[in-house]
Amino acid sequence: MPDEEVLEEGLLNPVQPEIQDPLLKSILADNATPATEPTGEEAPNPLPDPTDEVDCVVIGTGAGGAPLLARLAMAGLKVVALEAGPRRDPTKDYATDEKAQNFLFWNDERLSAGQNPVAFGKNNSGTGVGGSTLHYTAYTPRAHRGDLQLHTDFGQGVDWPFGIEELEPYYEEIEHFLGVSGPTPYPWDAGRRKGYPLAPLPLNGAALLMQKACAQLGIQTSPAANAALSARYYQEGIGWREACTNRGFCQAGCNRGAKASMDVTFLPLAESFGAEIRADAYVTEIERDASGRVVAVVYEQHGRTVRQRCRHLFLCAGAVETPRLLMLNELALNSGQVGKHFMAHPGMQVWGTFEDDIRPYKGIPGGLISEDTHRPKDADFAGGYLLQSIGVMPVTFATQMVRQRKLWGQPLRDYMRTYNHTAGINILGDCLPHAANFMELSDEKDARGLPKPRLHFTAQENEQRMNRHAEKLMRQIWEAAGAKDIWAFERYAHVIGTARMGLSGDDAVVNPDGKAFDVPNLYICDNSVFPSALSVNPALTIMALSLRTADKFLANLR
Amino acid sequence: MPHYPEGTVRALLQTELVTPATRAALEARLNAPADYTPQFFDADTYQLLRAVAARIFPQPDRETPIELAPAVDKRLTDGTADGWRYDAMPPDREAYRLGLGGINQAAEAQFQQPFMALSAEQQDVVIGQLAAGKAAGENWQQVPQDRLFEEMLAELTENYYAHPLAQEEIGYVGMADVPGWPHVTPNTLEPREPEPISN
Ligand SMILES: Cc1cc2nc3c(=O)[nH]c(=O)nc-3n(C[C@H](O)[C@H](O)[C@H](O)COP(=O)(O)OP(=O)(O)OC[C@H]3O[C@@H](n4cnc5c(N)ncnc54)[C@H](O)[C@@H]3O)c2cc1C
Ligand code: SF4
Repeated sequence: MPDEEVLEEGLLNPVQPEIQDPLLKSILADNATPATEPTGEEAPNPLPDPTDEVDCVVIGTGAGGAPLLARLAMAGLKVVALEAGPRRDPTKDYATDEKAQNFLFWNDERLSAGQNPVAFGKNNSGTGVGGSTLHYTAYTPRAHRGDLQLHTDFGQGVDWPFGIEELEPYYEEIEHFLGVSGPTPYPWDAGRRKGYPLAPLPLNGAALLMQKACAQLGIQTSPAANAALSARYYQEGIGWREACTNRGFCQAGCNRGAKASMDVTFLPLAESFGAEIRADAYVTEIERDASGRVVAVVYEQHGRTVRQRCRHLFLCAGAVETPRLLMLNELALNSGQVGKHFMAHPGMQVWGTFEDDIRPYKGIPGGLISEDTHRPKDADFAGGYLLQSIGVMPVTFATQMVRQRKLWGQPLRDYMRTYNHTAGINILGDCLPHAANFMELSDEKDARGLPKPRLHFTAQENEQRMNRHAEKLMRQIWEAAGAKDIWAFERYAHVIGTARMGLSGDDAVVNPDGKAFDVPNLYICDNSVFPSALSVNPALTIMALSLRTADKFLANLR
Repeated sequence: MPHYPEGTVRALLQTELVTPATRAALEARLNAPADYTPQFFDADTYQLLRAVAARIFPQPDRETPIELAPAVDKRLTDGTADGWRYDAMPPDREAYRLGLGGINQAAEAQFQQPFMALSAEQQDVVIGQLAAGKAAGENWQQVPQDRLFEEMLAELTENYYAHPLAQEEIGYVGMADVPGWPHVTPNTLEPREPEPISN
């Protein structure tokens, strides 16, 4: 697919993201809000005037909250984002040290139950102005048509209430706004209108080994799409962002601004259009009037309790804290779906030891991808998965390794000396919703006196079959690459689907526009509204949904 | 087993290859005071934790071993978590108390002496039993030993490999990243990366 629209590396300037919605376009045209300087303030915000009512409050500034915040601000609305975590300066505060960056994770304790208890914190959930995107690996594959219609195709799982064509224009807009580096044409999606704005990032040791072995086995691979800049890039609301230096530390935080986390992309854009972001603001209560409309939210900030009145509320606190807030406030519970059908992506990893000096800390961790396994011919399961090469930092690697292999004493130290010679592959696979997998409030209280969430997760037959298929294949790949001492780590990551979207309030919490069935002015947008898990990493799709939700909301405002 | 030149990381920390935030984090660990007074554990339990840590990370090659217990004690004092806990486990503070008590019970059951009084070989037998889920002791009715072992092992491992000297031991110099890593393909080292030395 030759693509005349791919601009020269580093010169692309998405000055004005393309607006999809005609009505929004006209609102924007009527509403020429002058852009203000980003505040970037560190000091606590002044207390809001108790009588002040803003148009929209957005809870959470991650992949779900940040894009819509920008969109609403650009439409001229008065918007405030409340973010439980801190605002940090990546260039000064982000050490290249895994332990020193623990503050980026949502470290409040969650209870993990079921046969495959899911690890949270580092494995899963971030906090701070930018949410989990502060430490995502920034893999940004698009979902495929089939991912949204699992039930139609397999008679299992559920379909999304709309097709992929609803998301495609947003995918395109976001890829160009963030500056995604990736291959054009994209091997598994020939019909794409626009290529990636930047060329792929260089392949590191693990990626090259996987590439060679897959070629031998007849598996097609390609450099992955990654929201880290392979060249300098101009971003509206920020200016120039610097290129990735292959620092390999994206899973903690990027100190260069090369990785497209929300704090260097949608959030400054939102602020430049007048959005206010309040960090260290932990929301505990959502107030309603007699008619059931949300009228205000209450949050804790720097030891004081603050109330903010609002006309509309956007709940984007992630797929554990969103249902938790709904349960704590007895909100939107009529469908009985809040907390239900919790999903986690199978993320099986296979590691091997090689003769080569690989240095897994170098290069973007997610270098190479294969989507040949999206619908494997020999599959005995519904859905599919993708394959990715992985780089890893030593502390993460060591702790995962001991959890799996239980090495201790001298054998542990000996094994870790092969760190520079290890390389990994992992999958990211679909997960079916199942009644046994859900979130509930436990009796145990957290430091604020609120019940801790308990999450039940058991990999069901479909996930187990997928894992077996994937483990066998990844072992074959590493054997073909000449690895020794191959071992697999069964893991589940990403929290999905606890407040799902659907056509009816009988079995879904929000409608296809993200609007709660039960509450007239409540919208939900984050990983929790996914009706099914998708066989791709979620962040790009969450962002696409976020813009779509904002456009639908603005269209309804009239 | 290849190893890496001593002093590599210390030398790197003095250079501009490391950001101030990175240097501060690593030097704090490198220069941690040798004497640590536990705040959460009582003195005996703390010594027991140190003894267990010394078998999980034996360091006969180091004059002064990397201390792994202080970070555990600090964390439990502060009451911080890593975002999750196995539902089957009691809260962390209780889990450590019960678990360490259980290790003593296992030692008594096997060798009729507390863990601290055992030889290194005997201590390894007890830890081996725990790792295999076969340690004796009534505390294990309240805390599942496989999970306790996994959690304790993971926490000690995290503390060990977060230490600059342990990172040097495995040839990790990712902290020296200011200029980036232009050479990411296998077997192409930057000048600042140590070559392994074979004994
Ligand atoms: C190590 C790691 C690697 C990952 N890699 C990838 C990847 O390569 N590709 C990909 O697509 N995805 C990846 N992910 C997943 C991705 O980051 C998340 O799926 C996505 O960011 C989730 O978006 P969200 O909006 O649902 O939630 P989040 O981004 O987590 O945002 C929720 C925000 O709400 C805030 N909040 C919660 N409760 C409250 C409250 N009560 N009051 C105020 N604020 C609150 C939180 O602090 C947080 O900032 C990765 C995740 C991790 C942990
Ligand atoms: S590899 Fe690139 S994107 Fe990732 S942390 Fe390093 S500079 Fe940032």
